[in-house]
Amino acid sequence: MSYGDLLRTLSRHRINVRYRQTLLGVAWAVLQPLLLMLIFAVVFSRLARIPSEGAPYPLFAYAALLPWTCFSTAVTNATGSLVTHTQLITKVYFPREILPITYIVAALFDFTLGLAALAGLITWYDVPITLAALWLIPLVALLAAWILAVSLALSALQVRWRDVGVALPIGVQILLFVSPVIYPLDVVPASWRAVYLLNPMAGIIHSFRDVLLRGQIPDAVPFAFAVGVTAAALPLAYVYFKRIEATMADVV
Amino acid sequence: MLAVVFHDVSKCYRIRQGVGLLRRLRPGGVKDFWAVKDVTFEVGRGETLGLIGHNGAGKSTILKLLSRITAPTTGEIRLSGRVAALIEVGSGFHPELTGRENVYLSGSLLGMRRREIQAKFDRIVEFAGVSEFIDMPVKWYSSGMYVRLGFAVAAHLEPDILLVDEVLAVGDAAFQRQCIDRLNELRRAGTTMLFISHDLMSIERLCDRVALMNHGQLIASGPPSEVVGTYQQMVATGHAAAVADASRVAADARARVESITFHDQSAAMVINASTGTPLSARVHYRADAPVSDAVVEVFYYSRDGRVLHCQQSTALTGGALDLPAGSGAVEFTMPWLGLQPGIYSVGATIRQRTAAEAIDWFYGRTMLYVEPGKPVRGHFSTPHDWRIVAGDGPEDHGAGV
Repeated sequence: MSYGDLLRTLSRHRINVRYRQTLLGVAWAVLQPLLLMLIFAVVFSRLARIPSEGAPYPLFAYAALLPWTCFSTAVTNATGSLVTHTQLITKVYFPREILPITYIVAALFDFTLGLAALAGLITWYDVPITLAALWLIPLVALLAAWILAVSLALSALQVRWRDVGVALPIGVQILLFVSPVIYPLDVVPASWRAVYLLNPMAGIIHSFRDVLLRGQIPDAVPFAFAVGVTAAALPLAYVYFKRIEATMADVV
Repeated sequence: MLAVVFHDVSKCYRIRQGVGLLRRLRPGGVKDFWAVKDVTFEVGRGETLGLIGHNGAGKSTILKLLSRITAPTTGEIRLSGRVAALIEVGSGFHPELTGRENVYLSGSLLGMRRREIQAKFDRIVEFAGVSEFIDMPVKWYSSGMYVRLGFAVAAHLEPDILLVDEVLAVGDAAFQRQCIDRLNELRRAGTTMLFISHDLMSIERLCDRVALMNHGQLIASGPPSEVVGTYQQMVATGHAAAVADASRVAADARARVESITFHDQSAAMVINASTGTPLSARVHYRADAPVSDAVVEVFYYSRDGRVLHCQQSTALTGGALDLPAGSGAVEFTMPWLGLQPGIYSVGATIRQRTAAEAIDWFYGRTMLYVEPGKPVRGHFSTPHDWRIVAGDGPEDHGAGV
């Protein structure tokens, strides 16, 4: 039995349905991080005078908002994916991880469009692009792996405890403030670093800025933390998901 | 060669009462419900097994276990080959998507490859008879079209093992015919099938073997007519204990029902009758010894095995019936056949008035075909007259109560 085609069909379906009956269509994929960037630029750069490691603040913010929006959208949608598809889960068998994964694929699709906008911004601000930009490929893979780990764990938990869905928006808000989206990683005191970096989004976002804005390969420590935590979390999340999967149809 | 092995399988559902943390503190907040208990059966390659039983007997749970929708609590399930389950027609259809998009979506949910769907697309649409509407969102489909398209996708899967849950109950007669033809085609092609249906006649026609479920347990398994008969007896008597061993009843039977025949006014044997015309049913029996104080009963069943009507010899004679040894027949006459046009299955029992259990139970392949006669609206027709009653209006009660 092949479920690769199901994954493709369902993912395409997610992307198609998402912006159906909207006026601006897929433009929303780019508009969401752009609008956030504008607000951040006004509030945090102009008013709060937050440093941006020498890069223009809008670009500094956007380079972080791109992976961040991808993370928050994917995790929010994927977490609810099992309970919103009760009808399917109780009537048809297929590997259940396909449901959260399709939302992750859809978010990565938006991410790709947002990346095109980022290329435009980089050109506009005349920031030199170096070969280090090729690091984007493993970085996106790392981002996807971390999103997958979180989504698998939370969607499986959500089947049993709907509290997860209720707590999720506030959880994502908190994560935004404990990730270096608004401010640079440098402002985090050295004594707090080790704990701070246990959130892989910190290392991922910092590395995004390294390879795109500073034209250098990722800073070793934050990157290693992100890889390490993801590598530990993903197998655990997958095993937990598969354990819940067996009787998911009974409780969902 | 076995396609399905279902070995000593049980499935327990936890029924939780109360909300949140409170239920953890309260004793009895969690109850166990065994939907399937210690069930074992096997299905050979190419064999068609029917599963029958009352609602909640565990049939659908068995299908969910086989299709891996949920896992068993204990026991072992082995399946060899590609499995497709048709638990609900049109599962996975998205109302906003067109028929075409939904064929792909539903097909891939059922485990078909995109290329496979492409190759079968025209046949699927033709089977469903919705070609004009295929590029229209399915939310605009009639329920009939929706169901037809859903079944059409599933019917074109070519699985090694096909699980079907009560999908034949949908659609009009012509479409049901088409479905049964398609299932027969798959069966001839060597597909192993497991069927759940309340339509006992379809079960008998389609299945090689039938298993009877009762309260989560498998209580009988064997040739379709035998097990369906056991089930009908269970429905008629309202308890399963007496039929757990159907052969026992026949083994020490002092008397047997041999056949049931139908006769028109001129006593000629018929197999067809019309609503509203006279008809008699003869229960032919053979008794090894005289049976005193006997009761002969005739049951009329609907296609889904419900007892629609029952006639008893005590009501007929108003007194005791003593059957002499030897062969004979008891005739039930109906001056007016009250059944709607349709196909009915007919059974009969002989029992002693004082005993709860039947001496013999007969469920053969006796069918009664009722043709349209007197037009009937509603479930049945009953003999009636009418007249005008002059001045029989409501009385004037004056000032009221």
